[in-house]
Amino acid sequence: MNLSITILVVDDFATMRRIVKGVLKKLGFRNIIEAENGKTALSKLKKEDVGLVISDWNMPEMTGLELLKAVKAEEKFKDLPFIMLTAEGQKDCVIEAVKAGVTNFIVKPFTPDTLKEKLNAVFS
Amino acid sequence: MEQMEQIGKHIESLALEVVDLTPENIQAMGKMLNILSSIENECPENASVEFKELAIAIRGYVEQLTLGEIKDIGILSQAVKSLQDIFRYMERGENAGYDQFREIIERLKKGSSAESEEAKEESKNKDSCLIEKASEPERSLSPEDIDLLQDFVSESLEALSTVEVNLVGLEQNPNDTEIINSIFRSFHTIKGVSGFLNLNKINKLAHHCENLLDRARSGELVIDENVTDFILDAVDVLEKMIESIQEGVKAGRVSEGDINVKPIIGRIESITQVTEQTGQKPLGEILVQEGVADQVDVDHALDEQEKGENKKLGRILVEKGAISAKNLADALHKQRKSGGKNIDLQVKVDTKKLDTLVDMIGELVITQSMLRQNKTIVSSADQKLFQTMSQLNQITSTLQKTAMSMRMVPIRATFQKMVRLVRDLAKNSGKRVRLEMSGGDTEIDRNVVDELYDPMVHMVRNSVDHGIESPEARQAAGKDPEGVVWLRAYHRSGNIVIEIEDDGRGLDSDRILEKAKEKGLIDQDTELSDSDIYNLIFQPGFSTAREVTDISGRGVGMDVVKKSIEKLRGRVDIESVAGKGTKFIIRLPLTLAIIDGMLVRVGKERYIIPTLSILESLRPDRTKYTSVHGRMEVIRVRDKLMPLVRFEEIFHVSCDSKDPWDGLVVAVEQDGRQFCLLVDEVLGKEEVVIKSLGSSLMDAKGFAGGAILGDGRVALILDMAELCQLSGAGLV
Repeated sequence: MNLSITILVVDDFATMRRIVKGVLKKLGFRNIIEAENGKTALSKLKKEDVGLVISDWNMPEMTGLELLKAVKAEEKFKDLPFIMLTAEGQKDCVIEAVKAGVTNFIVKPFTPDTLKEKLNAVFS
Repeated sequence: MEQMEQIGKHIESLALEVVDLTPENIQAMGKMLNILSSIENECPENASVEFKELAIAIRGYVEQLTLGEIKDIGILSQAVKSLQDIFRYMERGENAGYDQFREIIERLKKGSSAESEEAKEESKNKDSCLIEKASEPERSLSPEDIDLLQDFVSESLEALSTVEVNLVGLEQNPNDTEIINSIFRSFHTIKGVSGFLNLNKINKLAHHCENLLDRARSGELVIDENVTDFILDAVDVLEKMIESIQEGVKAGRVSEGDINVKPIIGRIESITQVTEQTGQKPLGEILVQEGVADQVDVDHALDEQEKGENKKLGRILVEKGAISAKNLADALHKQRKSGGKNIDLQVKVDTKKLDTLVDMIGELVITQSMLRQNKTIVSSADQKLFQTMSQLNQITSTLQKTAMSMRMVPIRATFQKMVRLVRDLAKNSGKRVRLEMSGGDTEIDRNVVDELYDPMVHMVRNSVDHGIESPEARQAAGKDPEGVVWLRAYHRSGNIVIEIEDDGRGLDSDRILEKAKEKGLIDQDTELSDSDIYNLIFQPGFSTAREVTDISGRGVGMDVVKKSIEKLRGRVDIESVAGKGTKFIIRLPLTLAIIDGMLVRVGKERYIIPTLSILESLRPDRTKYTSVHGRMEVIRVRDKLMPLVRFEEIFHVSCDSKDPWDGLVVAVEQDGRQFCLLVDEVLGKEEVVIKSLGSSLMDAKGFAGGAILGDGRVALILDMAELCQLSGAGLV
């Protein structure tokens, strides 16, 4: 795993972002940036060289799915790994995200180990 | 045939994806799902049933694979190969041997369901692991954890406060999905983060709230005031738990507090259930609630019903002899009513408007009674006029009742505040106390409710702190180690009665007496009845508690209770049996706007004496009258000496009868002091609407207000406490 890539964490709840960031840091990632919704995420994606997006599903302004679709629509980001965080019991959402080309998804509530596992799956 | 070509391409790419599919490769599964959807959509109409079915079965299997519900991918390559086979048959227009594919379709369907059972089992085990983890009492915290928790606390509290604001907005705009979604999000995130931080109770409650909002979002549930209340309650509980985390973090541990979230979750669940049944309560629940049927019987019957006996639940129960047909009819009636309740529409009204309405209706009642007493009308022989008058009478009294009831609120909310209090008190004192409540629906004047809270807190504290014994002492006395405090409310003869009862040790009359003597509240040789002794605890500065706790036992309290209740024109009584328990009985007028009074005449003036303070009225015998030094006049009423108060001395209004034995005396009691008022005549008992005397007459001492009588004239309502002070009768 390349630990120097920039990871963009998208969630409207700062604590959740912090949690994800904390786990990522423990795993050795150094460059982590944040966005509180899909819109800011898109503009940050265009400015920075992001190597992975971890995004929440349910956010105001622009949902995770809308963000995912917008990302996949751009040729430049077509292969950008994208992990979606979804809540339990939202199977339809998961399938929808998977069909939209999400690289992987994590069902909340999750443990640091799950995140690690999914990261391994994405980068293997 | 372009269509077939396209599908052929789809199947080829599907086969390519399958070749190097791993259970972790979500992206590949996404591609497969998209291809399968395209195949389903583009499938020609004449395609064989098996082809379509197989495509759908494969898609179902891949979806489950994606969700991690199953892991075996071996069957997929075979399935895709079969799909290719069928497709080739179709291309060639052959129609043979489709049955051979039945098997793989079944295996895809069946295999997945069998495995998903396994997965479920596994996740169950996972759950139990979680629970075990949670029961680890305290986890040591790293500085990082503390940071996280602190962030969680501040952010969740903020999110919860926006929930409150949003709920208010939602009440005005119940269908605004953006607001619902924003509330949903708040709960959702709290749920997510708390789950990550292993805060199980918060997680659970937030989860249930989220579900509730989810149903509202999808339009399955209408958010009415009832639901809003539940959500607000849940917010309160969440806030409490989050606050206790905050406190815990300071001490370097994680604690959600020992709040039981089950009741509130149960309540949230009950709303979702009620709405499922078209707004009606389930019949079984009603039957059990009414005590007609056992839960066991109902469960049995429900099982039977599920087994496919197409019968109604009530019928099964009647046939089994668990309930009678009449019970069933009653319960069904209740059920219909419970369904209707949910569609009661409500309007919020400013209390000022309501007060004005009540006031104006009061005036209307008076004007109407003036009309009735009008000489022309009284002397009229017109039958029709009397009919119209009595109709008017009926309408005004109904109107008055309705207006009064508008200011009424159920006492439930006040009762419910006691639950927490009792719990905290019991915990602090190491006692086990259960609170039982009845009559929460009893309605009481909105203004009274607020005033009632403090005295009730005092009395409940008193019951738990002084009444209920420690579990050991209870056991030694042969009682259940868990004490009970009852809160009851009901209407009785125009009053609302509130009882606070405990099954504790009861009042110790000897000790109260001893203490009262010690404090000089009574003379050493006074003989008192039990109820008089109990009433001593309402004296200022009286406390029998041997230990002072941080909650009660400082010698203040019960006198304050009595004062506040009397301010509400109510009274409080005590019943107590040593070793069995104590009962406080509060009687309050239904409303503060109306007073029950005795109309008396003094010379040319008329006054109203509140009935609550009156002991009796009598014409004393000359021998019962004594005067001390010709100044202090006393009348012996039932072996008690009471000072005589003349209106002449206080209001400079002279009585026609100069001597008490010519007129009447009304014996009254205020704050434990008894005295007699000399009047000419008792005109009768009347319910009057109290009018404030207004700011210009603020300084007029001795009056609680004024009232307009049936003949349109004004009578002043006496304030016994002020009167007592003015007359100096209290000094005796």
